[in-house]
Parts: sequence; structure tokens; C-alpha cells
Amino acid sequence: METIPKNEAPDEAPTIPKPPERLAYSIQEAADMLGVNYFSVYRLIQRGKLKPCRALRGKLLVPRTELLKLLATE
Amino acid sequence: MTNPFEHRRPTELEDKAHAEAVRHFTEHLKQFPASRAAVERLERDADKIALAANRAAAKPTPKENIIQADDGRQWHKNADLLENIHFCHRPISYGAEYAVVEHFPAHGTNEIWNRGWNAGEVLKSFTQGQRQALQVWTEDLTLQVKEFLAEKFPGQDLSLVADAFIHKCTTQAVSQKQELTHNHEQKHSRGVRI
Repeated sequence: METIPKNEAPDEAPTIPKPPERLAYSIQEAADMLGVNYFSVYRLIQRGKLKPCRALRGKLLVPRTELLKLLATE
Repeated sequence: MTNPFEHRRPTELEDKAHAEAVRHFTEHLKQFPASRAAVERLERDADKIALAANRAAAKPTPKENIIQADDGRQWHKNADLLENIHFCHRPISYGAEYAVVEHFPAHGTNEIWNRGWNAGEVLKSFTQGQRQALQVWTEDLTLQVKEFLAEKFPGQDLSLVADAFIHKCTTQAVSQKQELTHNHEQKHSRGVRI
């Protein structure tokens, strides 16, 4: 018995998958996003205003949530 | 930290790795010496700034240069310490209180970093914080450079190159930057020390 083929392509524009949202950024990226120089980011870390996490080799990363928190409180 | 290549020539690979690191971390090489120089200037001038603030606090309070900080109080600007960071005082019943206040232009807010009744101590505490921030930067940059070299040149021990790079970054004078860059290029072409 022959089956009826389903409609394969609905008339919709193909959706481009969004890249997953970054969880953390390098110091350079954080500085660029905040529009400040690198020293300002390290100062914010030293003051405890930004709480960084450490990547595998130990370098500092700034969590996205920390950047959002900082911008919300300032 | 001393330059590890003071007593021997770098190998061709070390030379290449150093040049790659310099290229990759150009912005750090530009920003770190300038920030360090600003902190050193602050340390050098701290006594003068504190004295000037004491003198200003002893005089009748001027109407200009007043800022409202996040504590809701009005502070009088005495000196600019760093970009958008000011040393301030406000009169109190038994003298003056001093504070380091940072201005955030985007929000128009003024946040107090630290405060106290002794101008010298407030400034000292602030400059110590700046030194610590430079130290955090140095440690992080060291790890970044090591990671970069390990990825770019897998299986090679280039720890001396990382040390030489950090030495260059943390000791390079701002005013001599162009000259050193020029010298660095010359040294590479002649195959002598980094």
C-alpha cells in the first residue's frame, strides 16, 4: 500500500540557529564590552566589584552574569 | 623579575615565539606601562596631594567643584588621581573627611572608593589598591602568555619567553615605547638578545 508523502517544506523562511550565548568573557572582551581600558577591569576585580572565574590554565574570565550585575548596579 | 635573556641569546624558536607574543598582546604592552606610570606618579605625588587637600580643607569651603556622591553627601574635588577618579574632602564639625570618588560618566554617578579622616592614609590605601590591581594584571597576563605560547608552539618549553615578555611589559617605560619597539625590531634583524 502506497503512503501519502507528507508536506516537507512549509512556506517559511529557513531559521538560522542562534549561536549559544557566551557564559564568560576574557578580560579584553569584558573591557571592550564595558568601554573601559584593561586596567579598569582589573581594578574592578581587585575591588571585588567583578568576581572572575578561572579557566583551565588559570587565566581570568569574567562571567556574563557579573557584567550584567555590574551594569545593573551602576 | 629580570630578563631571562640577559645572559644568553634566545634560540631562533624563542625569538619567533617572543615576536608572536608581542604581536598578539600589543594592547597589553601599550596599556600596562601607561597604567603603571600613572600609579607610580600617584605614589610619588601622594604627599603633595594630601598636603594640598589638608590646606584646602582648612580654608572656607568654595562653592565650585562640588560633587554629590553615592552616600548622598556633597564632596569638594581637590585633585584628579586617575581618569574620572578624584580626591575629595568635605567639612565636618571637627575637621574634614577625605575620600577617593570615582565618577561614572555613563550613569552620572559618583562612587566612593574609600574614605577617612587622614588624607594621607586614604590616598595610601587607594594607591595600594592600584598596585594590587597591577599585580592581578601581571599574574593574569603571565598565564595568558603561557597559554598562548603552549597553543601556538605545542610541546615546546617556552617559559623563558613568557618571562621575557612579562619583563618587557612590566619594565618598559612609556616615553621610550617607540624607541624600544624600534630597538626590538633591530635586535631581531641582527639576531641578538630579545
